[in-house]
Amino acid sequence: MKQTKKQFKYFSLAQYKQEQDYLQKMHRNGWKLTHISCLSVYHFEKCTPEDVVYQLDFQTEVMDQSEYIQMFQDCGWEYLLDCVGYSYFRKPVAEMDGPEEIFCDDESRLDMMRRIYKKRMVPLIIMFFCCIVPQLLRTIANAKESSLDRSLSILFVVAFMLYIVSFVTFGIQFFQYKRGIKRG
Amino acid sequence: MDQHIKKIYVPMTETGFYILLCLREPNHGYGIVQMVKEMTEGAIILTPGTMYGSLSKMEKDQLITFIREENKRKIYQITPLGEEVLAIEAKRIERLYRNMKERF
Repeated sequence: MKQTKKQFKYFSLAQYKQEQDYLQKMHRNGWKLTHISCLSVYHFEKCTPEDVVYQLDFQTEVMDQSEYIQMFQDCGWEYLLDCVGYSYFRKPVAEMDGPEEIFCDDESRLDMMRRIYKKRMVPLIIMFFCCIVPQLLRTIANAKESSLDRSLSILFVVAFMLYIVSFVTFGIQFFQYKRGIKRG
Repeated sequence: MDQHIKKIYVPMTETGFYILLCLREPNHGYGIVQMVKEMTEGAIILTPGTMYGSLSKMEKDQLITFIREENKRKIYQITPLGEEVLAIEAKRIERLYRNMKERF
């Protein structure tokens, strides 16, 4: 019987770097990722501790999934799974000549962020201004009279915070790469 | 040439330049990775995320065209527009090299 474990971990939309680091750390501690359920529940299987780099890619125009995966496999990256637009890959450090990622220049890292922005961030921003903000204001205004609105307002405050965290982390990463390109 | 193409590809990234250069002969993504590794004596190792993104973008902008698929690998080749962009870049790099040699 294989030993497995589940862990709940929340990463906002643009926190794929933190997610990669988390998965690498787990593997270093002898837990390799098997799958992800309900967006935020990570399933692991006991393995020999190893330094393995995890990478997330976000492509929007994959016509042929097997051709896409083949290119990564040719370059030594094992394909794991797809989750809300992201594809997960890993490669042991022992098989690398030096530090290696699936992107080799800032321009293509920025391109990936642009794809995330177009496909995922724009709908979030629309949701934020058309739903979260008005609902938050409405529930706060009614909080004194209605206990339901009081509890709902807490929910919207949490949603509001999560959204802000996503926007800010996304913005910071985007401008870091952009600065990197200008410097280079 | 389209202003959009000029804005994106002139000047272009080292990755972009090597892709166009290699695709003067039909080749697939991993084939380009190997070619560039050999050409640069291992100094430049193109990576699959960058490669896949660049190929899709260049195909969409019609700098390269898809020819056929072989063992789940798409084979591309440069288009006349791609050649045009490559020639502009080659001239720019030549000038850069000439000035570097004169003053450095």
